[in-house]
Amino acid sequence: MRALYASVLCLGMAVRCLAATSEVSTDSNADACAGAEIQLKSLSTNLNRNQFSAAEDRLTVLKAEHPDCSSILLAEARIKASQGAAEARDLFSRFLKKVPNDPAGLAYFARFLIDQGQYQQADELSDAAVSQDVKDPAAVSQDVKDPAALAVRGQLLIMKGQPKQGEELLIKSCELDPDNAESQFQLGVLYDRTKRPGEAVKHFQKVVDLDPGYASAWDYLALNLEPLGEVDRADAAYRRGLEVNHEGQQFDAFLDYNYGRFLAKRNRLAESKLHLDRAVELVPDYRDTWYDRAKLNLRIGNYAQARSDAERAASLTEETGGILNLQVYNLLEQIYRRLGEKELADKYANLTRQTPPPTRKGSESTPSQ
Amino acid sequence: MNHPTSHHRLVSLTAGLLIALVAREMRTQPPTQNAAGISFENRQPQSGVDFVLNNGTTVDKPIIDSIPGGVALLDYDNDGFLDIFFTNGARIPSLSKEVPGFYNRLYHNNHDGTFTDVTEKAGLSGTGYSIGVAAADFDNDGWTDLYVTGINHNILYRNNHDGTFTDVTEKAGVSGVNSAGKKLLSVSAAWIDYDNDGRLDLFVTNYLDWSPETSKVCGLPGKRLSCPPSLYPGEPNILYHNNGDGRFTDVSKSTGIADQIGKGMGVAVADYDADGWMDIFVANDNQRNFLFKNRRGKGFDEVGVEAGVAYTEDGIPVSSMGVDSRDYRNDGRPGIFITALGGETFPLYRNEGNDLFSMETYPANIGFSTYKMSGWGAGIVDLNNDGYKDLFSANSHVSENADIDPQQHYLQTNAIFENMKDNTFQDVSAHAGPGLSLRAAHRGAAFGDLNNDGKVDIVVSVIAGHAELLYNTTANGNHWLLIQTIGTKSNRDGIGTQIKLTSQSGSVQFNQVTTAGSYASSSDKRVHFGLGGDTLVKEVTLRWPSGTVQTLHNVKADQILKVTEGAL
Repeated sequence: MRALYASVLCLGMAVRCLAATSEVSTDSNADACAGAEIQLKSLSTNLNRNQFSAAEDRLTVLKAEHPDCSSILLAEARIKASQGAAEARDLFSRFLKKVPNDPAGLAYFARFLIDQGQYQQADELSDAAVSQDVKDPAAVSQDVKDPAALAVRGQLLIMKGQPKQGEELLIKSCELDPDNAESQFQLGVLYDRTKRPGEAVKHFQKVVDLDPGYASAWDYLALNLEPLGEVDRADAAYRRGLEVNHEGQQFDAFLDYNYGRFLAKRNRLAESKLHLDRAVELVPDYRDTWYDRAKLNLRIGNYAQARSDAERAASLTEETGGILNLQVYNLLEQIYRRLGEKELADKYANLTRQTPPPTRKGSESTPSQ
Repeated sequence: MNHPTSHHRLVSLTAGLLIALVAREMRTQPPTQNAAGISFENRQPQSGVDFVLNNGTTVDKPIIDSIPGGVALLDYDNDGFLDIFFTNGARIPSLSKEVPGFYNRLYHNNHDGTFTDVTEKAGLSGTGYSIGVAAADFDNDGWTDLYVTGINHNILYRNNHDGTFTDVTEKAGVSGVNSAGKKLLSVSAAWIDYDNDGRLDLFVTNYLDWSPETSKVCGLPGKRLSCPPSLYPGEPNILYHNNGDGRFTDVSKSTGIADQIGKGMGVAVADYDADGWMDIFVANDNQRNFLFKNRRGKGFDEVGVEAGVAYTEDGIPVSSMGVDSRDYRNDGRPGIFITALGGETFPLYRNEGNDLFSMETYPANIGFSTYKMSGWGAGIVDLNNDGYKDLFSANSHVSENADIDPQQHYLQTNAIFENMKDNTFQDVSAHAGPGLSLRAAHRGAAFGDLNNDGKVDIVVSVIAGHAELLYNTTANGNHWLLIQTIGTKSNRDGIGTQIKLTSQSGSVQFNQVTTAGSYASSSDKRVHFGLGGDTLVKEVTLRWPSGTVQTLHNVKADQILKVTEGAL
């Protein structure tokens, strides 16, 4: 559970916990890699498609034959990063000593640091990754040719609240290397967050075509198919995601939660309950899972369990997820009303009335004058 | 660095989900009917109705330009056929109807599918920026009167019985001005006899505190968007009590109505708790909705939160626009159907009884469909006469420039959700004939039988386009009954009368007399029932606002039945 929780935290920060994939870096010490070009290309493909096990097998062979090839060192760092292993840091550092300022090396290192929550350093490295050949900072997307560097910088810019610039870099990255699963994933995430489900679906579909084992991509794909009304396709995507959602670094702890909510919308209440039960086990410290299970229990008339779940949601803060206090109060009011506990129902009715709702509306924008 | 704080998947994606479908009741089904689908045809081109809603928009796209467009279906000359009244906008910022293109319009039904513009003769061209309309016989003289809401003028027109109307606003004291002397921005209105004294009172929804001087501007130059309502303070609604002498008294404060500040759009009236006193539901834009529970004519308690209709089942508000409240489950309890914006879904609340509602948007199978729609006019109406009420929404995004977001579309088709008789609906819009394929900036919608063929037609107002006269062309041979109530002890229109109908086959339906509901609009006061294959109604029971209960037996189908209160 501890590992899962770490994974959850990482997801909660909207960054992919896996190391990114891109072309294997061009080696300045080309002689050391001579004769390994074909194998390196295959290794690159494995990494780009998150096929880390296959990449590891290739790496073992390559390392023995080309011990001084720096591209192999970078590949090893990426594999370790995908496992969340601390030694990835040392491997990246060693690589960058051998190939200073390599854009891809800087980029992968930056992504590893994002996964480790070391944003400041990641920001600096990703900036360096795109700055190597660029004189005009405004021309990054035109000048930089390394897709990994573009992708990680794009991701960082989005995290820094510059979505337009981030989108531009991610688009360029996907154009340069359409088969890079991570670039496609990050661009999909951006479209997901900016509520552009049609565009998000295209990119998540591409990700799962490249890497059918990418559970989070299936999850996002399904989530973005829902608002398009493609419910059967969404259902299939959720189920594919659950099939490949194995424990480990890639585990998506929210798949059950999202599928449980989806099933409730489709009136498949018993199945929904199974997944929401699992969701509260997987992510017990998040308000959302308890909240949604409480709603389901209310719906099926299991008021006592609904009460317990909703009170648990109330005991967690708004910061642990996206469910607002207002939502929890409103739910508790309805549960207690049905339980016939008037005093508590009235208490939560008052809290509901006193809590201002979020302001949101389609096309809302800031006044420009 | 700004770190992201929440994961997408933990954010509540939409308004809707929930509510019980745990145990579905077994019901007696009406006899087998022809399965021909619901179908509509727009006959505006040949109707002579040339009305175009002019919202007077400017390059800045002020918030008010999105909200006009009421429609009323009323028989103003008592010839037995519904006539059509449209509200219209005005020049911005002057808010005056400077040219005929801004006039409100009345079209007389010629009984042959055509209409004649009689606005000027009737004296109904209006003043100011008009929004909504409510039609009813407020003075119990047997002739339908009109109340027009607006930004800077609300107007009460008394019917002179000769095809003309007189503006009696000042004498009546219903100008929409509050006690501080400020004209509130009125959207919808509903005629309701809240104290069952036999005289129709008037409820007016007010939106927000806007004026040309305080108007905000949103979006980029050349692509301005309608500003969100959150940028403006809300306003209280108004309730006028009918004194019976042509005058009204503003009882908003004494009845508790004025205590609630919202952003009122649509209003629906129904006796949701079956206590014999009409209650009021107000759809608020991006704020919690209000359910005013009638305290036996003495005042109102706002119980939206307690009843579970203030917010969606996700505990958040939506941009509630239009609303209708009727019994769509044939269980005797009126539910609530609300239109809202794209990305929110249209809330549908099931009335559980015991003063509680549960949201049924997804359980009733309208969640995924309506997520993509933005709606205004709303109706719970039996469109195929099968004995089960269907849902209609008049659709369009708020902002004329909405399409700069590829997920949004300003011009949208209207939608019909057919009642599948198992507490779910099916979106049949795409198969409902050419009348439902028109993309436009739809706004208000009124429901009524324009040609007295027993099928409910729909008139929809369209910004910058011809209004649509959607004739119901459903050809399934199902039977019907239209009931026109004539109150004697109760108000003359019989508004508020609860009607229970038991057909030959034993199926039971419920409906009520009201012209309120939808968005800023006013519908046929006659109460419509679809009867499926039944040609006879075993029993009709009317519970009048006066308390009188009247039962009719063995009523033939396919007729317009006039029922006078207390008559044998």
